[in-house]
Amino acid sequence: MDVYQEYQGFLKNEEVSPPLAAILSLTEMMERSNAGTMFELVKELKDGAESLNKHSPNPISLNAGCELFIEFITLFPHDSASFSDLKTELIKQGRDYVAEALTYRRRIAELALDFIKDDSVILTHSYSRVVMQTLLMAHKRKRISVYVTEARPRGLGIKTAEKLTAAGIPCTVILDSAVAYAIEKVDFILVGSEAVVESGGLINAVGSNQMAIIAKAANKPFYALAESFKFHRLFPLSQYDLPTHHPTLLSFPISQHRPAPPMMARPSVMPSRPGDESLTDDSVSPIKFTQEQIARNNPDVDFTRFVFIWRSTELLSRSP
Amino acid sequence: MSTIPPQDMPLTNAPASTSSNPIFQATQLPSSQPPQKSMTKAERRELQDRQRAAKQQQGTSIGGGGGSASGQKQAGGQRHKDLLSSSSKPPPKSSAPKNNRPRSESSALRPAADTGTGDDLSSSRKGLRIFSHFGLSELPTKQVKIAEGDLVHPAVARLALMFGEFKICGANARCIATLTAFKTVIQDYTTPPNTTLSRHLMSYLSPQITHLVVARPMSVTMGNAIRQLKLEISGSDIDLPEQDAKDALCQKIDNYIRDRIIIADQVIEDLAVKKIRDGDVILTYARSSIVEKILLHAHTLGKKFSVIIIDSRPLLEGKQLLRSLSSLPSPSPHSFQPGIQCTYALLPALPSLIQDVSTVLVGAHSLHANGSVYSRAGTAMVAMMAREHGVPVMVCCETYKFSESVVLDGFGKNELAPNKLSLPSPRSNLYPNLEVLNPLYDATPSSCVTAVCTEVGLIPPTSISSIPLALGKTTL
Repeated sequence: MDVYQEYQGFLKNEEVSPPLAAILSLTEMMERSNAGTMFELVKELKDGAESLNKHSPNPISLNAGCELFIEFITLFPHDSASFSDLKTELIKQGRDYVAEALTYRRRIAELALDFIKDDSVILTHSYSRVVMQTLLMAHKRKRISVYVTEARPRGLGIKTAEKLTAAGIPCTVILDSAVAYAIEKVDFILVGSEAVVESGGLINAVGSNQMAIIAKAANKPFYALAESFKFHRLFPLSQYDLPTHHPTLLSFPISQHRPAPPMMARPSVMPSRPGDESLTDDSVSPIKFTQEQIARNNPDVDFTRFVFIWRSTELLSRSP
Repeated sequence: MSTIPPQDMPLTNAPASTSSNPIFQATQLPSSQPPQKSMTKAERRELQDRQRAAKQQQGTSIGGGGGSASGQKQAGGQRHKDLLSSSSKPPPKSSAPKNNRPRSESSALRPAADTGTGDDLSSSRKGLRIFSHFGLSELPTKQVKIAEGDLVHPAVARLALMFGEFKICGANARCIATLTAFKTVIQDYTTPPNTTLSRHLMSYLSPQITHLVVARPMSVTMGNAIRQLKLEISGSDIDLPEQDAKDALCQKIDNYIRDRIIIADQVIEDLAVKKIRDGDVILTYARSSIVEKILLHAHTLGKKFSVIIIDSRPLLEGKQLLRSLSSLPSPSPHSFQPGIQCTYALLPALPSLIQDVSTVLVGAHSLHANGSVYSRAGTAMVAMMAREHGVPVMVCCETYKFSESVVLDGFGKNELAPNKLSLPSPRSNLYPNLEVLNPLYDATPSSCVTAVCTEVGLIPPTSISSIPLALGKTTL
């Protein structure tokens, strides 16, 4: 069975986040493998991680999981009598880690509770499982109300609002563009994370960066919640240095009336490939921007620099 | 007779106890001080002040430290200790005095033809008194070499000349050249009777190091490498036959060059190249060997990017980089691939170019505990400008360039470019009142650096001091 299909199978479980799904699918892969040596095994795992990376549209957080797991495998003490024993042990360790990692969200929620004062107004962004759990737990002991951004184009903020309202938390959906308007009424901002990078920066659903900048301007705390398996050995220098950035993002349609721009017009923004249907091709018909086009030219995640983050409540636990 | 006041002395970074000892200088005064009549009023007053201060210090040190009201009192306790110890044995004796001999003496030895540059140097030094601590590099004269012929190994003497002439320039190149020369020195060394290599070799090497430092202040890289070499020498086995011990040391030196510089550079290349994408515009300042390697590597990988080289006087090192980037041979005879598209501009043009830049890539002389990057003068300006425009700045630097000191600005420690490089010689005598100040380095604050690309990965500049801990070492 294909690693990626397996990975998607694991992701169907609502509780399992991409890094854990990646670890689980690598564990499954290890179970099936008939590698005879450690070297072969690590190579197979690396290939598996590579194929996951290639298939996934947004590989950042799954890469963090793969990285963690392969690092663990290579550093694991090899004192078993036979290689098959070692392999069984590694598989067991992988599964145990995932089982334990699933409790991390609860522990983060407990830690984050100290940051939430009674009667606070919280702004959150899009949908994040760890933020949901934290808010639901806080609701049991404190009075909270929540603003959530709509998070276009996928509109995951509405999912958050529905779940929170069902639990009895007063919740209002605000527009992504209304964050600066709402910020004065907010006590602090709480977001989840896709990955925490080496510079201390945060990779999260697009829109987090502008929220962090607005929070900084308004002097409001901006907290990010991250499980320890989301720490990623990556050092983005800018938004365009993320693995998810590709040339079609933010690209301009190629116009026939204008010559192609020189190579150094703007960094990292290339004109879209000639294969794409161009907006100005049919200059007779009125120009329309469809939602699909907008979604295609816009990023899923963005990178928030460390200076904008107030503090991240991260769970520092031991590696698997 | 030279007119250089010997107080301007700190000629080297070498042992402070001898070179900057005020008593030592005071005793030299009568012989070297110019006739009082030829001095201006201000100069006379300054001289008097200095003599008074020296006398006062002498008094306090003999009297066991009394309260003196002069500014000299601020000198730290360490200094007082030095004074105490040296006042008990007036002529400071060590191997150092030979090199740190008062400048007046060494310039007196110069042939008459040399006096032109000597006067020029002295006049500029007088004007730049507040920067005298920068350690003006003076070209070692032939006299120095002959006078120390019995001490300085020819390889080292040759190297010192090349350092002084800026024939070998750049932290990596200087470190490799020094270590290679020391390999020759170690091979030519024989342990004298009644001592051991591990105890004696370093005392043999010290004057060689001092000689290099006279030619040009020691770079942080050389300092780190020499510290490591000292450690290896003192740790070498006493029972080992001499030739084996020497071979082992040379092997260690080779390993150091390989691991800390050459392999490290390869790792940095691989890491940094990932940050160059198609369509990028990379800006660099002056010339760094590692940046050059990165750009060439990115080019061979077929990445389509252009480079802006910003350069500045007096060294104009960017020209060399421009030459090597733009005149690339095609990687393979079948594919036509021209060199990298380059733009060359001087520092004043930076503001109009920075807007189009996607990444700034610079090298470093050294990296300090507070995250400052000490690099070619002008780098700080480039980094600040880039930060102002939101352009990421990546400093490429091997970990052996790390220094545990804290550098806050470019004034505490710096080096001046020799006048020969800053002023074309025919003009230098035209303006007797012209004072030239050309510091070679400046300090970029860590807030202006996005990332430091080292062989252990990309890290924020302020994290540099935690790397040894993370690697389980006490020093880098």
